[in-house]
Amino acid sequence: MNMDHKKPDLQQETLRRNPFKVPEGYFESFSDQLHERIKQEESSKVPVRRIGTTTRWMALAAAMLAAALITTSIIRLSSPRDTEGLLPDLAVLEQMQLLEDDRFLYEILTEEESVELDENEAFVSQAIEYLAINDVEMDLIFE
Amino acid sequence: MPDWEDREIIEGFNIPGNEEIAFNQLVVQYQERLYWHIRKMVISHDDADDVLQNTMIKVWRSLNSFRAESGLYTWLYRIATNEALSFLKQKKKKAFAPWVDMEEQMFEKMEADPWFNGDEIQLKLQEAILKLPEKQRIVFNMKYFDHMKYEDMSEILGTSVGALKASYHHAVKKIETLLDKD
Repeated sequence: MNMDHKKPDLQQETLRRNPFKVPEGYFESFSDQLHERIKQEESSKVPVRRIGTTTRWMALAAAMLAAALITTSIIRLSSPRDTEGLLPDLAVLEQMQLLEDDRFLYEILTEEESVELDENEAFVSQAIEYLAINDVEMDLIFE
Repeated sequence: MPDWEDREIIEGFNIPGNEEIAFNQLVVQYQERLYWHIRKMVISHDDADDVLQNTMIKVWRSLNSFRAESGLYTWLYRIATNEALSFLKQKKKKAFAPWVDMEEQMFEKMEADPWFNGDEIQLKLQEAILKLPEKQRIVFNMKYFDHMKYEDMSEILGTSVGALKASYHHAVKKIETLLDKD
């Protein structure tokens, strides 16, 4: 044991000195980096119409329907023996792909109040509305 | 650029079209103090940078609802403290090897960190601080390094002055014991 070693005294001023440092110019450029990030985050939010109360229950059912459809379609597509019933599922999937371009129906049928959602939420929201509006057949998922 | 009064920043932010100027002033005035508070908790510069950005983004989104019941700095400090604690919590959750002590990992990184400028004693002190429970660590840093008044700490942490004094006392005793082991 080193007999010269002194127990560090918390009252020493040297211990209170900041032992950390920052890259040169960090604080000078922080504000600009921050503004860039805020701009990026705000530009990724997509305003969409809120689903009206009259279609809210349909939206929930349609969300479950969409999830079941996609799951069923994936299982069918990956299964080599069953080729029947593929066409309607693929058609629905194709229709869903067109959702982003087809906003006209949503503007007519939804309320005026708008909500800011990010891109994924906006897409799902529109998908649910489109399925509800187009009365997607329930029996497509119950086979 | 001369400093603005807190009142000027808040009033400026509430003038339509003036938000960015007022917010920029706030960032420039408070970034360093908030950064160092965060840095002492998360240790790494990159992590402190992330947390500071998250803090300022939260401030940007909620400055128009700031009620001025507490001082602006107290409010900012509270947001920064919560962001740092959330960050550490998330980091623990995401840890690849959850059986490994996160604070030990942070210390090992600090030893090799080019942005750590301390001597051997300062390194030992940081190691001891990392062994404190999180709240004691915050209290110790705020009192020992930032010389903050207990009344201000009480507003920021939502803890009574008495509890903070007790917390600081325990933290000091623990650190002294750890530093004595050699």
